[in-house]
Amino acid sequence: MRKATQNLLLVMIGVALLHITVISGDYVNYVRPAFQIMLIGAAAVIVLLGVVGFWIETRDLDHDDGDRRAEQENHHGARAPRTAWLLFLPILGIFLVAPPALGSFTASRAATRTAPAAPPPPQEGYAPLPDGPPVVMSISDYVGRAYAPQIGRPATLPGHQVVLTGFVMPGPGSAWYLTRMRIACCAADAIAMQVIVRGAPMPPKDAWVQVTGMWGPPATTTTRTVFQPIMASSVRRIPKPPNTYE
Amino acid sequence: MTDRAPIRTASPNVDARAGDEDVLPPYDWAPGRPPNPRVRAVWVVGSIVAVLVLGRLYIAPHLQIRPLQAWSTVFLAICVQALPFLVFGVALSAAITTFVPPAFWTRALPRRPAAAVPVAGAAGAVLPGCECASVPVAGGLMARGVTPAAALAFLLSAPAINPVVLVATGVAFPGRPEMVVARFVASLTVAVLAGWLWAAFGRGEWLRVPARPHVAGARRWDAFRQTMRHDLMHAGGFLVVGGAAAATLTVAVPPGWVAALAGVPIVSVLVLALLAVLLSVCSEADAFVASSLTPFSSTAMLAFMVVGPMVDLKLIALQSATFGPRFAVRFIPLTFALAVGVSALTGLVLL
Repeated sequence: MRKATQNLLLVMIGVALLHITVISGDYVNYVRPAFQIMLIGAAAVIVLLGVVGFWIETRDLDHDDGDRRAEQENHHGARAPRTAWLLFLPILGIFLVAPPALGSFTASRAATRTAPAAPPPPQEGYAPLPDGPPVVMSISDYVGRAYAPQIGRPATLPGHQVVLTGFVMPGPGSAWYLTRMRIACCAADAIAMQVIVRGAPMPPKDAWVQVTGMWGPPATTTTRTVFQPIMASSVRRIPKPPNTYE
Repeated sequence: MTDRAPIRTASPNVDARAGDEDVLPPYDWAPGRPPNPRVRAVWVVGSIVAVLVLGRLYIAPHLQIRPLQAWSTVFLAICVQALPFLVFGVALSAAITTFVPPAFWTRALPRRPAAAVPVAGAAGAVLPGCECASVPVAGGLMARGVTPAAALAFLLSAPAINPVVLVATGVAFPGRPEMVVARFVASLTVAVLAGWLWAAFGRGEWLRVPARPHVAGARRWDAFRQTMRHDLMHAGGFLVVGGAAAATLTVAVPPGWVAALAGVPIVSVLVLALLAVLLSVCSEADAFVASSLTPFSSTAMLAFMVVGPMVDLKLIALQSATFGPRFAVRFIPLTFALAVGVSALTGLVLL
């Protein structure tokens, strides 16, 4: 790959990164929102590298003749290997596929339907829930709190109304799953967090909903690989949130 | 059609012929009017951006194939997440080779490789980044005369034992500080053992040390810029290969298939070690993935966290690109075997 193409490629990568971080906001489909500043910084460095390279090398070309150019092209480090062409793939992916966040396709691929592991509880343990209006919490938080009594920590859920947000997946019988993907760093480490919703008809698959309800004991309490249920008192359709991960 | 010319001439076939076609497009395409490269570049960038924007508007909404979308999401996630670390790594590597005088390294590290290896391994604790950053940095160290064995110990330890990764491990395993200790001890042990084995048995011709001519004065910034671009192109292409492979496996391997093997004692350690290679999760996130693999024993989780930052698909691609395939076919199996063995032993003693 010649120098001019390398400069062009660098600018394109930087532009693609800036596009997903600043313009479209698609980057939250791929990585945690906290990465935004780092991505913008990296994009700026890459664009700068391409633009400065382009500026210096075309300035040289204006004054030099062809022989000097040939010598420069062959000088160490000028040419990149052909694998560098692969860097166009992510650019094409960002613009031509523009994939959405991971959803029910990935979540349903777990062949044996075992419940997801409870996320690690906070160091100081779960704080008691306040009385009063229903408490908004993440599905990870809910599953973690529901699981806490099994490892000898205080139960915090019974008697409290909570609000969970996620998308709909079909479950056994008339029950259905409320699901949300949880990522630690990027979508490659995504884990599906799921609760089983009882007492409410299933909305359309993949719809985003807010479920208000109370925790109920799971069907069997012997193993931790059991889905924690929520006894729904109301289910409300909501628009898809900008960041679909938790 | 002036805007088409540069696209055609920049195709890989033309590139392979190299050298003889450096004046592109040939002057006789537009007799009497030498092409201005800057005007041409504006045309190229403009037309590519136009194609991409049109594609985003008219192609992307129709590509609703769910396996393709899931694959693309994971693929882009790995590339996008790794890129800032790669940029940081190649910048640091370029700075090491252009701004730090070679004499510095001979003073900073013990002369004997056997003594330099543990020092370099322990020095890995101060580079806050994941594995994508450490490969170019190790290449830069070698180019500046650091013993390859010591640079390799640094390469292995840096992504595993730096403070960011250790804190993430502590958060992922609350109330279990022994996991953090086990990870630190096992990773550093593997890095030092691999370095010593390379010092004892490694041959110079297996390893392609990146060539970095030393320059001085005002040309340093130019050398810095060219080195950084070269490394970014080189490693970036391979990062894409690794990301594509890992995305394919994430989408293709059913998680239930892995969980079925969790109960078998020795097999479970091997299964999670292999899973770490295939998933290619960043070392700053792998503790969260490991702690979610609850059917598995703590030792198997430890193996996942020790192997992952040292051997995975994107690292295999990056190491082959930086140090050559003859290095990769020897060093990667060595590291993998050491990582599995040391994790199993550490697990027996500490967990």
